[in-house]
Amino acid sequence: MKLNRRVFVGTGMAAATTLSAPMIHAASHGKPKVVVVGGGAGGATAARYIAKDSQGEIDVTLVEPSRSYYTCFFSNLYIGGFRELDSIEHSYGTLASDYGINVVHDWATGVDRDAKTVSLAGGASVPYDRLVLSPGIDFVEGAVAGWDLSAQNAMPHAYKGGSQTELLKAQVEAMPEGGTYVMVAPPNPYRCPPGPYERISMVAHVLKASNPTAKIIIADPKENFSKQGLFEEGWQKYYPGMITRIGPDFGGGNVTVDPAAMSVDIDGELIQADVVNVIPAQKAGMICDAAGLTDGNWAPVSGHTMQSRMDENIHILGDSTNQGDMPKSGFSANSQAKVAAMAVRGALTGSRVFPAKFSNTCWSLIDTDDGVKVGATYEATDEKIAKVDGFVSQTGEDAALRQATYEESIGWYEGITSDMFG
Amino acid sequence: MTNTFGIFASVLGGSGLVLGLAYGWMSRDYRDQEIAALTERLSQMEDSRAALAAKADQAVAFEARLEDLEQALATARDEAEAARQAAAAPEVAATERVSDPVAEDVTSARLDFGDPAKGAEVFAQCQSCHQVGQGAEDRIGPHLNGIFGRRAGAHDGFNYSDDMQMMGADGLAWNRDTLDAYLENPKALVSRTRMNFAGLKDAGDRADILAYLRQFSASPQDIPEAAPTAQAPEVELAPEVLEIVGDTDYGEYLSSECKTCHQQDGSDQGIPAITHWPTEDFVVAMHAYKQEIRPHPVMQMMASRLSDEEIAALAAYFAQLE
Repeated sequence: MKLNRRVFVGTGMAAATTLSAPMIHAASHGKPKVVVVGGGAGGATAARYIAKDSQGEIDVTLVEPSRSYYTCFFSNLYIGGFRELDSIEHSYGTLASDYGINVVHDWATGVDRDAKTVSLAGGASVPYDRLVLSPGIDFVEGAVAGWDLSAQNAMPHAYKGGSQTELLKAQVEAMPEGGTYVMVAPPNPYRCPPGPYERISMVAHVLKASNPTAKIIIADPKENFSKQGLFEEGWQKYYPGMITRIGPDFGGGNVTVDPAAMSVDIDGELIQADVVNVIPAQKAGMICDAAGLTDGNWAPVSGHTMQSRMDENIHILGDSTNQGDMPKSGFSANSQAKVAAMAVRGALTGSRVFPAKFSNTCWSLIDTDDGVKVGATYEATDEKIAKVDGFVSQTGEDAALRQATYEESIGWYEGITSDMFG
Repeated sequence: MTNTFGIFASVLGGSGLVLGLAYGWMSRDYRDQEIAALTERLSQMEDSRAALAAKADQAVAFEARLEDLEQALATARDEAEAARQAAAAPEVAATERVSDPVAEDVTSARLDFGDPAKGAEVFAQCQSCHQVGQGAEDRIGPHLNGIFGRRAGAHDGFNYSDDMQMMGADGLAWNRDTLDAYLENPKALVSRTRMNFAGLKDAGDRADILAYLRQFSASPQDIPEAAPTAQAPEVELAPEVLEIVGDTDYGEYLSSECKTCHQQDGSDQGIPAITHWPTEDFVVAMHAYKQEIRPHPVMQMMASRLSDEEIAALAAYFAQLE
């Protein structure tokens, strides 16, 4: 499926014209319908932008099971004691009241692509003209030997915001003196490339104050990771001797866990642990697979519009997608949502469509007032979203710059959450 | 200064001779050798004296050039001011460039990477020395996994030429642009590189090979700071600058300076052809030199004293040359 913008906008206008005719007879029924599945950085932003910019011309329904949304970004800062849990909790009230979005708290369980309907766990079926899927991640079954979702209370992943994050924080705080924290890090690609290593920094920050003889072990299947030099410099500076990372050369990719015994086997060496944070390999949110939109673990999309490569009536955003160079992050999903919102409105109401441009920045906190960042700009090509230019914090930066970087991240959090939830 | 040096040299030479005589008195057999050695040292010192004198001359020349440049800068400033005033005058109508993004082709990204499949074929000629991909090892040349973003001469365990190591220490890192320059003419970038390869003259071949090799370095999706896979525009220019319509007559007048090196008939012998370029590319290139984003020192100097209007005029002139 190759879409050319001219053809695309053309059909959009044609659709708008044909739709305007029956509107005379049945105004509300004639409105084009957009259903958005998933109320995170991608879905909430897309719903809000489509509703806001179409000024009532498009009927928007947002399907999201949770009434309270806990952002995954900044959840590490909650673990480190830098944020309260309620500061990363958001509701959908404003999207409903101020933007007229029909927010439905239910699970989307399937998509009938021929009938263009989404089925919900509660039994309802919701029709759409365009569907936006932004379901985040699910875990690959059997990715870590000995672990499955039933073990998530003993060995939390804490890779979706909310109760898992609370559980992990409580476990870290309850560690016995001199205890051991093990992280099983995920293989590429996964949500939030620097996330596991920011988490290590935050756990170390807590332990340094309350339990300084405790140990942190990372079993990592990857040779390298994002901001590696910056993290390793920070760990050496703030938490010397506390953190050991076992890379693939030393069997970091060969891990078996036993949730009942709270033990981790790393390449034949058995470690008795007090906290085991298992972050398994990831895949597109389940609904993508259920709708037949995945190729392998992820859902391929066109960077020009974020349309699925398998169904032009469906746009997919954020972590679930296979789009090219953008990292799986909340910032990326938010950026992609705006491109998709523009394309959806263009198709349904004939509004102007501009060339897709994307950006992303990931901030990470290493210790108090020591923030680092990595960011880039991207453009859409026919093959993928391609990185154009970027920047990354440098090792050896002075304290004032690092503090400014951290403060910038707080500003960004306020900005993106208002952009998502109104 | 030259005098002082002469005295210094003769005093040294004199004392050397005295020493030589004394030595000869003690052991006559070595006297001839000793004299030969001393004579050689004397001639070496004379050489270095000559070199120093040349440097002094050069310093004078540099000073003169600096003055020239300062003068040129002042002229350019005046001209720019005049141009600014001219631009502010209401009768100069801004020529509109109607830009409707919807009408533009969707492939707006400037992808200076080529086709990786073609690149794999071009890479065949590199394979006698370089391996890439899973299980690649160092052979005559280093393996090329992870080459993008790596510092030159910095891959552990490979025995690089001194020049390559020096370039790495000086800050040369491999990205799309540096690899392109190196592939075009290895010895132009790293003088005594051990890579025995004349270079790939076809820019398309280089773009293809770089697209192929890029696949074996870190993905920006996993490591966001990894090297880009698309090319950023070289300079961000204000739309007003790009909208200036060049005066070809003025361009012809200005072009005489360019034609000292760049040939009017568009032939390309060591110095690139600059005829028939899209005017926007020409304008961007010249501003990239002016802002010292492009490295070539002569072009930086030439561009530094050209106003926006003059660059537009040159672009317009060279674009329409027969």
